Amino acid sequence: MTLAPATLAAILLMALATYLTRIGGYLLLGNRTLSPRVTTVMDTAPGCVLISVIAPHFATGHPADLISLALTALAATRLSLLPTVLIGVASAGLLRNFLPV
Amino acid sequence: MSNTDVSGGDVLTERVPSEFRLGVLASLPVMFGFVPFALVLGAQAVAKGFSAVEVPMLTGLNFGGGSEFAVIALWSSPPHLLLVVGVTLLVNSRHLLMGAALAPYLRCLPRRKALPALFFMCDESWAMGLADAKKRELQGNRSAFSLAYYMGVSLPLWTSWIVFTAIGAQIGPVLGDITVYGFDMAFPAVFLVLLAGMWKGARAALPWLVSLVVAVAVYVLVPGAWYVPAGVVSGTAAAWIGARP
Repeated sequence: MTLAPATLAAILLMALATYLTRIGGYLLLGNRTLSPRVTTVMDTAPGCVLISVIAPHFATGHPADLISLALTALAATRLSLLPTVLIGVASAGLLRNFLPV
Repeated sequence: MSNTDVSGGDVLTERVPSEFRLGVLASLPVMFGFVPFALVLGAQAVAKGFSAVEVPMLTGLNFGGGSEFAVIALWSSPPHLLLVVGVTLLVNSRHLLMGAALAPYLRCLPRRKALPALFFMCDESWAMGLADAKKRELQGNRSAFSLAYYMGVSLPLWTSWIVFTAIGAQIGPVLGDITVYGFDMAFPAVFLVLLAGMWKGARAALPWLVSLVVAVAVYVLVPGAWYVPAGVVSGTAAAWIGARP
């Protein structure tokens, strides 16, 4: 049960940043209309962040990891979170045993 | 619920708690959807070095799952504060659009009420609050936004997010030991589910592919966490070019 100062600082800054995005639209954008182009970019940005964050998982030469990623991506398109995570974790664990480098 | 009685003051005071109750009921199915995300987030945060106190503090003060998963995936000790704030702003930039869409309905509220209420705005509470306000507007109500309904949706979601991420932090170490071999695949799995939820067709997803390719290349070639800003900038630039009017 500890609270590290650096972690606390990160949490508080993060909370502030998130709150600013929540009130920013109401305070600044409420009276104007955004161009469709800006709307498209803002719709796309969160996905760009998510895929960039997991990019290191794709930068692997290990066939087991690549097959497992493909299976997980397939699962994500048709299943909910928990089964997808289970498929991802189980397939990675099994394939790494059966397909050693 | 019948909405025909909008006359007297005592009817109004009677209406408020039932609007809140309707919101709570509407939030329940969403809450069940939150639980697995919250458990996985809590478990992953602990695996990255967060303490059992820091996890509910993060999820209670920030209350934005996508940014929390992203920051924990990039977590280092000590944390890179600029990266944390930048990634948070980018993942949560959609809130700007959501707040702008809600703003016309919030005009009936004073700012001292609207600003605290917006703290609780997540994808789900926004969508449900907005849908409720639009429905009420069609029925001819002038002040269409129901703060009671919105808070009825929001408070259970916020509370359950804190409680279940805290539970995930407690049971995480146990789960981590069992699944240690493939456990790292839980991160991409969560992110791929989040991406699938944002899916709006292959054309709209093309910038994501640009982000992925650039981020992988930068990750291989450049040391450090530069692959994130590189992937984000190239992907959003592709979206900007692709959306040429």
